[in-house]
Amino acid sequence: MLRIANLVKSYGKADPVLKGLDLEVPGESMVSIIGASGAGKSTLIRCINRLVEPTSGTIELNGVKLTELKGKALRLARRRIGMVFQSFNLVDRLTVMENVQSGRLGYIPTWRAALRRYPKQDIRRAFELMERVGIAHYANKRADALSGGERQRVGVVRALMQEPEILLADEPTASLDPKTSEQIMALLRSLSRELHLPVLINIHNVAEAKAYTDRIVGMRYGRIIFDDVPAKLDDEAMERIYSGIPAEDRRADAPIPAEASAIPAERQVEAQPS
Amino acid sequence: MKSPLPETWSKPPAIANPVLRYGLILAVAVYAVWAIGTLPFDWARISDGVGRAGRIFSGAFPPSFERPGLMLEGFLESLQIAIIATAAGVLLSVPIALMSARNLAPMPVYILGRGIIICARSFHPVIVAIIFVKAVGFGPLAGMLTLMVYSIGFVAKMLAERIEEIDWGQVEAVRAAGASYLSTLIYAVFPQIMPRQIGLSIYQLDSNLRASAVVGIVGAGGIGATLANAFKRYDYDFALAIIMVIVGAILISEAVSGMIRKRIW
Repeated sequence: MLRIANLVKSYGKADPVLKGLDLEVPGESMVSIIGASGAGKSTLIRCINRLVEPTSGTIELNGVKLTELKGKALRLARRRIGMVFQSFNLVDRLTVMENVQSGRLGYIPTWRAALRRYPKQDIRRAFELMERVGIAHYANKRADALSGGERQRVGVVRALMQEPEILLADEPTASLDPKTSEQIMALLRSLSRELHLPVLINIHNVAEAKAYTDRIVGMRYGRIIFDDVPAKLDDEAMERIYSGIPAEDRRADAPIPAEASAIPAERQVEAQPS
Repeated sequence: MKSPLPETWSKPPAIANPVLRYGLILAVAVYAVWAIGTLPFDWARISDGVGRAGRIFSGAFPPSFERPGLMLEGFLESLQIAIIATAAGVLLSVPIALMSARNLAPMPVYILGRGIIICARSFHPVIVAIIFVKAVGFGPLAGMLTLMVYSIGFVAKMLAERIEEIDWGQVEAVRAAGASYLSTLIYAVFPQIMPRQIGLSIYQLDSNLRASAVVGIVGAGGIGATLANAFKRYDYDFALAIIMVIVGAILISEAVSGMIRKRIW
């Protein structure tokens, strides 16, 4: 169970990116977070494993208060949080096996990692998982030799090697073509079921969110404004999430105010000979 | 009404202000004339010197390869100095480069690392060699220490710059898995900088071989010392032979290092 309470993240004096978020993800559910760019989806996900440092509020995973951890305790807690990235973030010059085993770095001693003397059970688990997602034959290939879909599979296996209690996915399909993207979503869903793993996915593609996840959370300007089953995400809800900016929000957050678009026009007028 | 579109166009000048632009050009010209005019050229001595240069060159022909033993000894010593200095210098450069990369090091460490690099770079190897010759005496040890400092200055700086431009996503991914600092370096940083590291090491070996001949002249051992001695004894023909060997060795090492660097990418 992931429990987020009153989460705030602000950068400097600017308006907060997250404004007191509350969210609970119970075990085994696949939850997607949708919202326009800049809504704070990525910041929310990154606060959970503290790649981004929250300003205030608490995040708790199965009883462990993630927001209070420091140093080694934080590293140990991160082992239990798998993450899949939009741009895969594989180490290009290492082999697929080394990339997969990097998911175990929090568990094995540094000398083992440095010499690539991985424990037997880790190697077996790696082959099992790679077999499961169909990339076992690439074990000795360099990561940059794989296609986008294959690379994201490596990313998923790396995250699963951590034996995570939750899987975070930050736009996992945004760099993939539509077909591959559906395959990855289907893979995430079936893995979630098989491993009884809660999955939290940031996603731009609303159709995929509806098709593959159990619950949709809609964000707008650092707040959750929709949280329900996919069937309830109707046109009215979409409208609230993606457009029709209320005046109050616009003042604080609107990324491109109306005046900004007027500037080029002014320049044009100046350039005109009178 | 719209005016017709222009038919002529010229590139906007680099310095927009015309006063500043022409002023600068004028200032450079005036300084050049003044600088040449005030330097103490003694034409009588120059014409004397041309004669002396002629004697040196005529004395140097034909080059004498009569003492191959002495030459080989000097050359091998230079090679030894260059290889050991490169190995030690490159090894020391790695931690210094990590200290000097803004994205990995906290501010005080960063300042310390950059400080070491700046110290290592501020003096030409010949000056460093003179200091080391005073400190540890004539011979190859002074040469080795000099080239180590020289290697650190160059390799650590270039490597630090490479570290600063690594793909941070890979570091983030490994850290998100709970990896320690050292494991993160080994898995996410080193693989990304490895090609540059190898390229720099080979380049530095090449460069140290060249520099070892120069620092030898001020007493830091190697073929440079042999060359300096030949000059002192007016053995211009032997000196020319040594110079030809140095040039040959550098040509070969450049070709080899170029080939290796092309392969490792």
